[in-house]
Amino acid sequence: MKPPPFAYRRASSLEEALRLAAEAGEDAKFIAGGQSLMPLLALRLSRPSHLVDINRLQELGGVHQENGALRVGALVRHATLERSPDLDGPWQALREAAALIGHYPIRLRGTFGGSLAHADPAAELPVVSTALQATFIARSASGEREIPVSEFFAGPLMTVLEPGELVVEARFPAPSPGTRSVFEEFSPRAGDFAFAAAAVVLAADDGGRVRNAHIALGGVAAIPVRAHEAEAALEGEVLTGSAAQEAARLAAAGCDPSGDAHASGAYRKELVATLVGRALSRLREER
Amino acid sequence: MTSGYIGVSVERDDLAFLDGTACYVADVDREGQLYARVVRSPVAHARILDIDVAEALAQPGVVAVITAADIPETRIPIRLPMAETPYTHLFLQPPLAREVVRYVGEPVAVVVASDPYLAEDAAELVDVDFDELDVVSDILSATTQGTPLVHAEAGTNIVATVPLGYGDVEAAFARADVVIRDRLRMHRHTAVPMETRGLLAEMDHGTGVLTLWGAAKVKHFTRSALSSMLGIERHRIRLVENHVGGGFGVRGEPYPEDFLVAFLALRLGRPIKWIEDRAEHFVATNHAREQEHDLEIAATADGRLLAFRDRAWCDQGAYVRSQGILPALLPALHLPGPYRWEAFSVETRGVLTNRTPVGTYRGPGMTEATFVRERMLDKLAAELRLDPAELRRRNLIRPGELPFSFEPAPITYESGDFPAGFEHLLDEVGYDDLCKQRQVRRASGEHVGIGFAAYTEIGAIGPFEEARIVPRSDGRFVVHVGVASLGQGVETVLGQIAAEKLGVPMDAVSIDHHDTEKLADGFGAFASRSTTLAGNAVALAAEDLRAKAAARLDVPAGEIRFVQGQVREPSGRTIPLAEVGEGRGRFDKPHPTFSFGAALSLVSIDRETGLVKVLRHAVLHDVGRAVNPELLRRQLAGAASQGIGAALLEELLYDEYGQPQSTIMADYRMPTVEELPDIEVIVEERPNTANPLGVKGGGESGMVGTPAAIANAVADALGVEGARVWRLPLTPDRVREMLRHH
Ligand SMILES: Cc1cc2nc3c(=O)[nH]c(=O)nc-3n(C[C@H](O)[C@H](O)[C@H](O)COP(=O)(O)OP(=O)(O)OC[C@H]3O[C@@H](n4cnc5c(N)ncnc54)[C@H](O)[C@@H]3O)c2cc1C
Repeated sequence: MKPPPFAYRRASSLEEALRLAAEAGEDAKFIAGGQSLMPLLALRLSRPSHLVDINRLQELGGVHQENGALRVGALVRHATLERSPDLDGPWQALREAAALIGHYPIRLRGTFGGSLAHADPAAELPVVSTALQATFIARSASGEREIPVSEFFAGPLMTVLEPGELVVEARFPAPSPGTRSVFEEFSPRAGDFAFAAAAVVLAADDGGRVRNAHIALGGVAAIPVRAHEAEAALEGEVLTGSAAQEAARLAAAGCDPSGDAHASGAYRKELVATLVGRALSRLREER
Repeated sequence: MTSGYIGVSVERDDLAFLDGTACYVADVDREGQLYARVVRSPVAHARILDIDVAEALAQPGVVAVITAADIPETRIPIRLPMAETPYTHLFLQPPLAREVVRYVGEPVAVVVASDPYLAEDAAELVDVDFDELDVVSDILSATTQGTPLVHAEAGTNIVATVPLGYGDVEAAFARADVVIRDRLRMHRHTAVPMETRGLLAEMDHGTGVLTLWGAAKVKHFTRSALSSMLGIERHRIRLVENHVGGGFGVRGEPYPEDFLVAFLALRLGRPIKWIEDRAEHFVATNHAREQEHDLEIAATADGRLLAFRDRAWCDQGAYVRSQGILPALLPALHLPGPYRWEAFSVETRGVLTNRTPVGTYRGPGMTEATFVRERMLDKLAAELRLDPAELRRRNLIRPGELPFSFEPAPITYESGDFPAGFEHLLDEVGYDDLCKQRQVRRASGEHVGIGFAAYTEIGAIGPFEEARIVPRSDGRFVVHVGVASLGQGVETVLGQIAAEKLGVPMDAVSIDHHDTEKLADGFGAFASRSTTLAGNAVALAAEDLRAKAAARLDVPAGEIRFVQGQVREPSGRTIPLAEVGEGRGRFDKPHPTFSFGAALSLVSIDRETGLVKVLRHAVLHDVGRAVNPELLRRQLAGAASQGIGAALLEELLYDEYGQPQSTIMADYRMPTVEELPDIEVIVEERPNTANPLGVKGGGESGMVGTPAAIANAVADALGVEGARVWRLPLTPDRVREMLRHH
């Protein structure tokens, strides 16, 4: 459990980080909190030629709300989100999700950008980003591009990022008035990766009628997925107990998770119904 | 003459563990040391066609690469004679695989380099050409017709069959009103101490003595094993214990690495260090527990137990290791438990599979046996519509029946009061009240359940221990013992006994267990034996020293006092302590002691997610006499915590190709504080008549009944589906599965 050899460079600015990565070539990797990369190195499952450390890049920190929209820097630590009381209403799922990642020491180091780039299918932040329809700003030595979350994840531990391309920020569009969000997951032990997770974002009018719904699921497919049938069933409805139940059923019916040694596919499917149901009943009760 | 230490919760001196000054074997460094990296088999069963080490050898920093061709033909011996059969030696493990590999993780070669990183880099380049063979991937297929053989030359996958019998089983079954049968399964799991194993060996060319740091548990036996395997005299090998971060039965047995590290130190003439990493630990260190039992129980309609029959398949893994056939023998000895059976017949079999070899883990055999028996007793209670507590009450052996023997089976209960112990547990937890609470909570929609287990636990296994007390001129006493410290606080407990028996303050006594140089013999720390065996030996050594001192002054032993480096008698005459010589004691224990224990658990289940939460967990143990009640409590609570992990979370999974699926901490789930309730500990003290101090073992008991009690509580909480609880761990997925299929 000792990493194979690699070269290490610490960048002091974004430009330098991008230049170092470009110079180091295809097999270089950025290192942020190290909470996913270090275990992979120790198990020799990842063999980068170079590590470019981005932890000193001040410009990648910070959580900003402007005109109702939200920007989260790539180096924002999970613990920072967890302790941001103004992440409420439409952003509450973000704060709840961050608090469920691993254990506290992990959350003090792990970063938003790292979680996205690592792209674990059960990770919380990719799921919330999917429900909140984030766009990621990616930069490399040759320029900048915007990648909508729906196009970002390519498979388990895979994204569309090119070598040398760095996520600098996640942007969340301003939600319509009356939007609230919650996050629910199930893990067998405190701090474990979830067997299944659900982020639910609902916008309702004054009469409690759902204007639009976004439900994203984690742990049930190669990448976070939306529960489109469930969303459609909710839209235009008043969120009653039976509407919630039906949406939960549809969310489960619409996914086809595969199993592993710890949780079978059938079990994960049941969890989806339970978690979506719980998320919706919280949205009903916490109004 | 006593200073009143026995029975007092003296604080143990554990500052070193807290302030970072503890010195684990990884902290020991020797001038010029090299680092060993073991190359392990990536496949479960294969013929080795060729091993090419040339590329590895050419890497920077690499000093040597060895394979089986470089070491003598030798195998790791069995430690306990009772755990052998005439043909177990066929299955003993060579330090490096010869011709055939039999489990993922089996050592195939060792790379030695100047740096541990370089050693690991080079180890990847050792090129082994395997011709894969069919795999025995689980216990039941080990004995089916036409199954592959783990050791082809032996012609069988059965290592041992342990038959035990008592009374007329056929007659008892013929008289039964009810007979219930089931198959029950305990799963593979093991100890995962915070500190992995590690060793450092150095040959002193001046004295010709080979020193091995990192020894634990059974250092005298490991020394003899190394002596015969390496072909050098025992007195030229010295084993030294360092601070230890957890043992639990798996640390300190002689493993392949003990031989390899010592061999390389001799061969290369330089110190060799090897520290196991976590991924290695999960495949290299002994596994434990996996077994399947077909059990049937006969009883009368009014809930009197008559007889049982059990046939079991107990996994030994790919080789028989130093603990021999204990994985099959110990469950057999614990199946009857604390109940008055008229008859039983048991046949446990140790079987081979292509997986990591199995050894003993805290509460070995007894935990498995208790789980299968107690689970069946609850099924019987359900069948008879009897309160499970009442069923046990009616069948516990009564104090008037002790000593009680199941002869010809080698099971004798010397002392205790099982029914009183059981009632004590029920009283302490408030059983009647708990039953009412259960009703109230169920009425409000919660799914809660209560479960019990009662058991007997073998401990204090002999054959003997010795102790030497050496007075020093500054008035202090050094007590040399042959048992080991695995963090259980044995130094404190033995110090209390020595201080009390010598009549001196505790800080005048130091316990030395670290070094084979200091005491010729010792059997080590296992089977909850240290306090009983070494404790009584220390007491005898103290008496011996007092008697010698008294003889010098010609007064009765009761009259002398040890004061400031002097021996003093009442009229004031003194002689210097240093003139008295040393006290020696030896305590023989031909028969083990069985002690009584019981556990009770209250759980709740989330029927939607299948999550089991332990709300309350209580363990009771009869320790004979608690030398240090607080240390004992912590032992029981720690063991119970591990038992909760075993019941709900921890499992060493394999796929059908014999590939381990739990090789990192994320996949081998141990309970954290969030999953554990405050363990309630109840200590019973019913002195053991078979030794002067009156003590019994206590290090394992908290484990023994815990998985059984939790399984029974889960079954109770599940209601009708509870009858499906037949195996562990009760993961959320499994609980849901039981609820799903009707
Ligand atoms: C015991 C344990 C439990 C955990 N439990 C959970 C959990 O329950 N849920 C969960 O989601 N996570 C969990 N994690 C992982 C944790 O959340 C990580 O922090 C996160 O996945 C990665 O963030 P990081 O900053 O540590 O990234 P790193 O480990 O530094 O990097 C991860 C990957 O992302 C790349 N990378 C990092 N930053 C960027 C960037 N800005 N742009 C492009 N690429 C980048 C790296 O090159 C690397 O490939 C756990 C970790 C541990 C050790």
